[in-house]
Amino acid sequence: MSNTSLRAPARPAGALLAGVLVLLLTVPLLGLAVSASPAELRAGAASPLFAPALWLSLRTTLMSLGVIVVTGTPLAWWLATSKGRSARVIEVLVDLPIVIPPAVVGVALLQTFGRQGLLGAGLSEFGIGIPFTERAVLLAQIVVSAPFYVQAAANAFRRVDLDVLIVARTLGASPDVAFFRVAVPIALPGLVVGMSLAWARALGEFGATLLFAGNLSGRTQTMPLAILTALESDVQLAVVFSLVLAAMGGLVLVGLRLAPSAWASFAGGRISRP
Amino acid sequence: MVTTRAVSRPLSALVSAAFFMGGCAGTDSEDRGTQLSILAASSLTEAFTAMEVGFEMANPDVDVVITFAGSQVLRLQIEQGAPADLFASANEAQAHALADAGLAEPPRILAHNRLALIVPTDNPAEIFSFGDLPQASRLVVGTEHVPLGIYTRSMLDRADAKLGAGFADRVRTQVVSRENNARLVRAKVELGEADAAIVYQTDAMASDRVRLIEIPGDVNIRTPYVTATLTDAAGGAANRAVADFVAFTRSEEGRAILVRYGFDVEGA
Repeated sequence: MSNTSLRAPARPAGALLAGVLVLLLTVPLLGLAVSASPAELRAGAASPLFAPALWLSLRTTLMSLGVIVVTGTPLAWWLATSKGRSARVIEVLVDLPIVIPPAVVGVALLQTFGRQGLLGAGLSEFGIGIPFTERAVLLAQIVVSAPFYVQAAANAFRRVDLDVLIVARTLGASPDVAFFRVAVPIALPGLVVGMSLAWARALGEFGATLLFAGNLSGRTQTMPLAILTALESDVQLAVVFSLVLAAMGGLVLVGLRLAPSAWASFAGGRISRP
Repeated sequence: MVTTRAVSRPLSALVSAAFFMGGCAGTDSEDRGTQLSILAASSLTEAFTAMEVGFEMANPDVDVVITFAGSQVLRLQIEQGAPADLFASANEAQAHALADAGLAEPPRILAHNRLALIVPTDNPAEIFSFGDLPQASRLVVGTEHVPLGIYTRSMLDRADAKLGAGFADRVRTQVVSRENNARLVRAKVELGEADAAIVYQTDAMASDRVRLIEIPGDVNIRTPYVTATLTDAAGGAANRAVADFVAFTRSEEGRAILVRYGFDVEGA
């Protein structure tokens, strides 16, 4: 067969190169996994840094994900359905935080919402301070992770056949009903992928938070910041924190793999029903 | 105190992270001349950069390469095999731990630093003396996982005894962030985000965007800096260049550099 003859010569070299990358990606995780005993895990979880950081990370990432979904879904729909030049320009602007280093985002946020910043100066006149608060943690997470959701959601919406929506409208559905009952269910697997990517990115947010929100246990110290703080005094503690964060990321990935097929069987079952 | 437990097994992920944060020590040596590799505490950045210039002028055949990072991170790098000849630590404990492990010679005192209060140049909280500190509504200090934070706590406890009970508590309730090193603490004041911060005297003097307020001597803490020559076991060359550099840091010229950047060399 033609594709066999194409693949054959590249095989040994290709397999070797691919194997090197697979090892590079997996061995450090293995090193992390074997470097803490169950007793050390328990000791790490008992550290005064652990529970406040984990709770803060969970709370803020879920809140920022909520904001991202509520604001990012209409934006993604507009980007997917609009053919104008302005939509292309906005799309590039929305993607910018993906290519900008998080530390730069942190500096930019300070220059905007800081006490002497573009908007912060005005806000502080009203007694609203953003740096060093949980609001700053949320803002940093939203800015760095929203593009991942908007991009994935816009791609998912682009795969929605507009004719299906037109049919729904001719059958009497209002634009809102057509969007929520037809477009969103069709795009849902893509939306879930976008949510997971955005959530994982927010959970790992480090650079912008460190610069913009500071580092106070129980208030602005998220898990990645707790790892850096632990590394300054107790390496084993940092290992335990890292393991917990890696496990959380792993769970998201497994969920990501299972969600589309689970959805397909669920939706498929529903459609085939008489 | 700082936890000084040894790293017992290969922590590949974290150590590579530590290397990444601290930057690797230069290892590529040129054929002509000797390369001297120094790992120095971040707070020595300006002073040791000036030392490097002065020493290389007097010793043109030696190429000095200095890597700056937190003393704890540097100790971790040495324990994990980062090749270097000299360790300059802001914390005696880290150098003693390396000496106990046979990786370094016994450490010798280089100079002392002390704590200082800094405020932004526009001084929004109107802090003019150390006693005004409770007026700061946004205070930034070092986390108690690094020496700066530990020294700050001791200093505030002493202030409590001198300036009246409750002083330390009033100050502590105003803390909005505990940063991982003195430079991050100082940056929050330079940006105008913090009303006040407690850093080392040397960090305060190295910035023209903060105003320095002395902390009274009977309250302040003197913190020793040490140098320790690394042994063969740590990959140290232990050659004459190392000894020459150590001597240079104690020479009249070396001491003048240290004083210029805010260090105290009396009784060092």
